[in-house]
Amino acid sequence: MVSGVRQPFLDSLAAVVLAAGLALVLVVAAGRLESARVGAAEAEARMAAALWEQEGGGADAVVGLLGARATITGADAGGAGPGPAAYAYEAGELDPAVWIAVAPPPADGPRDALPVTAIAIALAGLTVVTGWVLARRRGPTRTRYPVSIALLSVGCIALTAVAAGRWTHGELRSLSAATAAQGARAVQIALAAGADPADAARVAQLPWAQDSSLDSPTEQWTMPAAVVAAIAASSERDVETSAGNDAISLDAANAPAPTAREADAGARLIAPHTVEAEGATWHVARTADIHVALLGYERTASPALALAAAGGLAGLLVALGLHLAQLASRPRVLGRTLAAWGLLVPAAALIVAFTLGPLLFSLWISLHEWRLIDPAPLFLGFDNYAALLSDREWWSAIGNTALFTLHVPVAMAIALALAILTRGSRRALRWARLALFLPGITSVAAIAVVWKWLLSDQYGLLSRGLEHAGLGSVPWLTSPDTALASLMIIGIWMVVGYQMVVFQAGLAAIPRDWYDAARVDGAGPWQRFRHITVPGLRHTLFFVLVTSIIGSFQVFGLVYVMTQGGPLGATDVAVYHIYREAWEFLQFGNAAAMSWLLFVVVFAATWLHFRFLDARRAHG
Amino acid sequence: MHVAPMADRAVAPRMARGLLLAGACLVMASPFLWMGLTSLMGQLEVFSGGSILPQAPRWSNYPEALTAQPFGRYFLNSLVFATAVAAGQVATSATAGYAFARLDFPGREGLFLLFLSTMMVPAVVVLIPRFLVIDALDWIDTYQGLISTELVSVWGIFLMRQYFRTVPRELEDAARVDGARHLRIFWSVALPLAKPAVATLALFAFVDAWKNLLWPLLVTRSMEMRVVEVGIAAFHSTYEINWPYQMAAGVTAVLPIALLFLFTQRYFVRGIQLEGIR
Repeated sequence: MVSGVRQPFLDSLAAVVLAAGLALVLVVAAGRLESARVGAAEAEARMAAALWEQEGGGADAVVGLLGARATITGADAGGAGPGPAAYAYEAGELDPAVWIAVAPPPADGPRDALPVTAIAIALAGLTVVTGWVLARRRGPTRTRYPVSIALLSVGCIALTAVAAGRWTHGELRSLSAATAAQGARAVQIALAAGADPADAARVAQLPWAQDSSLDSPTEQWTMPAAVVAAIAASSERDVETSAGNDAISLDAANAPAPTAREADAGARLIAPHTVEAEGATWHVARTADIHVALLGYERTASPALALAAAGGLAGLLVALGLHLAQLASRPRVLGRTLAAWGLLVPAAALIVAFTLGPLLFSLWISLHEWRLIDPAPLFLGFDNYAALLSDREWWSAIGNTALFTLHVPVAMAIALALAILTRGSRRALRWARLALFLPGITSVAAIAVVWKWLLSDQYGLLSRGLEHAGLGSVPWLTSPDTALASLMIIGIWMVVGYQMVVFQAGLAAIPRDWYDAARVDGAGPWQRFRHITVPGLRHTLFFVLVTSIIGSFQVFGLVYVMTQGGPLGATDVAVYHIYREAWEFLQFGNAAAMSWLLFVVVFAATWLHFRFLDARRAHG
Repeated sequence: MHVAPMADRAVAPRMARGLLLAGACLVMASPFLWMGLTSLMGQLEVFSGGSILPQAPRWSNYPEALTAQPFGRYFLNSLVFATAVAAGQVATSATAGYAFARLDFPGREGLFLLFLSTMMVPAVVVLIPRFLVIDALDWIDTYQGLISTELVSVWGIFLMRQYFRTVPRELEDAARVDGARHLRIFWSVALPLAKPAVATLALFAFVDAWKNLLWPLLVTRSMEMRVVEVGIAAFHSTYEINWPYQMAAGVTAVLPIALLFLFTQRYFVRGIQLEGIR
C-alpha cells in the first residue's frame, strides 16, 4: 500500500531532480561562456579607461568607452550593439601601447541556436526518462528501478554536458576568432590613423592573432575602404587608401611594411577618435599591453572541465536522491545509509575531485593540443595517440622502463634469501631490519645523491674499490651502456627490504609441520625449499612481483636527480619523459596521451593481479 | 618471531648464516655509511683518493651546508606537509573504512570496488589534470595546493576496513543497546579500538608524503615553499661537486625517517604484512 502511494511521488521527484541536473549543466555552460565574455570585456575596459585617463581623454571619454563596452557584457550581444573590441599593437617609445578600435561585430549566425539545441536535448532526455518510468511502473519487479533510472539520468546529463561543452567551445572559438579578426582591423585603423606601420604590423607576432586554428576568412582581415577613408578624413590626413593599405596581410610580418604615413609618425592621433562609416561608429583609442586585455580569453582554457564536473555532480545528485527516496520506506536502512554516506563523503569527494575527475580530464586533455599559453586548446581527436605510435623517443622511454623492471625478479630472489636468512634471529633483527629497510622508506632524493657520489667515475667508493682490486673502473652513470644497469642496482637495493618483510609474512603462514614431515621423509634443504617454500609462497611471490613491477613503472626521483634521462636518453623512463613533455616543453596534450598509454599498461597488470586473486579465492 | 624449523642444527651453519646476514646488512648500509663519512670530509679531501675515513671530522660541514640554502624552512615545510597528509588520510580512511566495514547500506560492495579500482590509477596519469586544477584554483606554491590532493588513500581505507572488521561486534552492540547512534559508536567505541591501525596508516602516510618528490616539485616555485626532497634535489644541482655539503644535507634528510622507523618499526612491518596477505 505504502509503496503504491509513494510511486507517483517518486516519479515526480525523479523528474524534478533530473531537470535540475540538466538545468545546472546548461547554466554552467552558459555561465562559463558569459564569464569569458565579461572577463575579456572588463579587462579591456579597465585598460582602456586607465590609459584614456592618462592620455587626457577625461572622465567623459571613459564613460563613453565603457558605455560601448557595457553592451557586450549584456545578453543581447548578438544584436545591433557594438561587438567585441579589437586591438592592435603599437610600441610607443616609452611604454608599449595598444590601439583599441571599437568596431561593429562581424555578422555571425545567431548565437541562440545552440541553447535551443541543448534545451531540446534536455527535453528529449526528460521524455525518455518519463517514458521509462511509466513503463517500469507496470512491471512486476521494482528492485532495479532506482539503479536503471539513475544510470539513464546520468547518461542523459552526460550527453547534455557534452553537447553543451561543444557548444561553449565553439562559441569561445568564434569569440576568439572575432577578436583576432577585429585585431587585424584595428591594425589597419591604427595605420590609417598614422601609427608606425612596422609597430602596427607587429600584432601578427602575437600568438592569438597567428593561431591558424582560428580560421578567419580573408575578407575579415580587411577594413572597408570607406572606414579608412572616413578615419583619414576626420583626422584630416591624407591616407593612402591603396590596395596595400586596404588588404594588409597580417600573417606576414616580414613582408614589406605598408607605406603609410612614415613622415607623419610623430603626429599621433589623440584618443578618443570616432568616425562614422558603413552605418557604424568606429572608436579609436590607445591602451596598454594587449596580453592583459586578453586575460579573459586565456582563462577560458577549458569550459569542458567545468562542464564535466557539473555533469558528473548532477548525475551523482540524481542517483543519490533517487536512492534515498526509495529507502524512505525503511527507516533503519535509511538511517544506516545516511550515516554511511556521511562518513564516506570526505573520502569520496576527494577521490572524485583528485582521482576520478582528473582521470577523465586527463583523457580529455590528451585529445587536444594543450599548451598553457593557448587561449583555447585545439581539439585533435586521437592525433596525439597516432603521433605517439611513431614517436621513437617515447618508445625508447617505454623500452627503458621495461628494461628497468627487470630488476624486480633479481630483487625478489635476494629478498627471499634474506627473508629465509632472517628467520629466527631476534635481537639482531631490529638493527638488521633498519639496515635492510631504510633504503626503501627514506628520502629518494638523498639516496639518489648518495648513489651518484658512490658511483662517481673516479672518486666514488665503487670505482675506488674496483681500482684497489686491480680491475678497471666502470663508467657507471656516464656511459649509455651502463647507466640504466646502475639505476637497476639502486632499484634492487631500495626495494629488497620491503619485499623481504612481505616474504616473511608469507613464510610465517606456511605450516611448520610440512617441513617436519618433509624432513622425516628425508628431504634436503633444497628439496624443502623447492617443494614446500616456493609453492607455499606462490601467492606472495605473485603479489610482490605485480606490485613491484607497477612501482618500478613509475620510477622518477632517481632519474630526475641522478641522470636527467641521460646519457643519450639511456635512462629516459616513462614518467620522466612525461614530466619533461609537460613541464619542460609544455605539451600537456601529448603528455596526457603518454600517461594514458602508461595507464593502460599498468591497468592491465593490476587487472591480471586481481583476476589472479579472485581465482585464488575461488579455489580456496 | 617463530623459532625457525632448522633451529636445532649445528652451530657452524648458524654462524655462516649470521655472517651472511651481517654481510648483507653491511652492503645495504654501506651507502649510508659512505654518506656519513663523506659528510665529515673536507671539500678537496674527497678528491684526494686517500683513505675513506675523514682525516679530521669536519663537523662544520653541517651548519655550513644547512645554511647555504634555507633547510630549516624545507624541514618545516616537509613537516607541515607530511603531518597534514597523515592527519587527513587518517581522518578520511577511518571514516570511510568504518562505513565499509560496519554499516550495511545498499550499494556498499559496488562502491567499495569503485574505490579499490582507483588504486590502479598510476599517479602520473592524474598529475597533469591535478596540476591544472591546482593552478586554476591559484593554489600553486601554497600549502593547500601541496596538501589537498594527497588527503585520501585508498590503501588506507582498505587497511582501516580490514581492521574494523576484526573489532568484535559485541562491543558495538552493547553501545547500541544504550541508544548510541552510528556516528557516536564510530567515534567512541570503534575508533579507540583501532589505534594500532591508525598508527600504521599515519606512519605510512607521513613517510610517503615525506619522500614525495614529484608533486612538490610541480606545485612549489619559491624557496620558501620547498620541501626537503625538492630542496635536496635543488641543492644537488647547485652544489654539483661539493660532495661533503651534499652528504651533510643528505644525512639530515635521512636521519628523521631513520629514527622514526627505528622506534615504530613494528607498525611498518604490520602495515606491509597486512598488505601482503590480503
